[in-house]
Amino acid sequence: MAENSVIGSDTVVSGHLHGQGSLEILGRVEGDVSVTGDVVVGPSGRVRGNISAAELTVAGQVQGNLRGTEVVLVESGGRVVGDIASPRVGIAPGALVRGHVQTDGEPALGNATAANRPAVAARVAAPQPAVRLAPPQPVSASLLKAPHKAEPRKLEHPRSPVQVPTPPAASVAAETESAPARTAKAEPRRPPPPVVPVISKGTKAKKKKGRD
Amino acid sequence: MAGTVIGEGLTIEGDITGDEEIVIHGNLRGRLTTTDAVTVSSTAIVGADITGASLSVAGQVTGDVTASERVDIQAGGKLVGDIKAARFTIADGASFKGNVDMEI
Repeated sequence: MAENSVIGSDTVVSGHLHGQGSLEILGRVEGDVSVTGDVVVGPSGRVRGNISAAELTVAGQVQGNLRGTEVVLVESGGRVVGDIASPRVGIAPGALVRGHVQTDGEPALGNATAANRPAVAARVAAPQPAVRLAPPQPVSASLLKAPHKAEPRKLEHPRSPVQVPTPPAASVAAETESAPARTAKAEPRRPPPPVVPVISKGTKAKKKKGRD
Repeated sequence: MAGTVIGEGLTIEGDITGDEEIVIHGNLRGRLTTTDAVTVSSTAIVGADITGASLSVAGQVTGDVTASERVDIQAGGKLVGDIKAARFTIADGASFKGNVDMEI
């Protein structure tokens, strides 16, 4: 009994209220309210000042910032002019709120992010190694052999496997310590990697069509 | 039930004005004005001038008191300040220090 406080409907408090326990405001309070328990601003209650409480319910009028460590509820008929910050915020139809509302908390959002993060990490991690392993081999082979032969022939390399077994190509492969057989086999496998640029071209075309 | 209750553990720094009964279990620093009865319970600590119809003190009050009807200091109650009231009683075991004016 002693822990619950009530500001009656015919009472005006001008000053700060702070302490423990719950508080029901049916009258007028002009000043900040900071309570560890719950605060209820009744339909006849009017507060001009910031309110901080665990569970804050507003059915009256409040001009000031609301801070709830658990939840802030603005009931129908309640009017709030000020910012609201709480892990959970409820605004009932018929309520009036003018200000910034922020739901910043761990209980509700923490579980959702924890469940999503490992799945996203797995999706991101999987494709990266596949992309990295495939292109380096053909790219390195093309870069090493391209300067020795004519530059305009870059496009012809994959199409003409006959030119590959020429002596200069074999000597280059020997100098790079890599097996000549692997580089020779890698050349006919080159066509698959260009699939990546093809996808990018296709996506650009789709975007243009979509925009047009 | 009383119109206004200041619970134990709650502290008010400021003025309280009202037209209804006020019961204080917690702390109050400032001023208290009402047209109805004021009750200061044994757990309350009040440092305020009090104006009301009647005042019952079981806790600690520091400040001047003006009551249109009566002031009662219960056993265990402590009041330091001047009192202006038509009727005034001090129970056995209560402590009081101040002037009394009963000419209202």
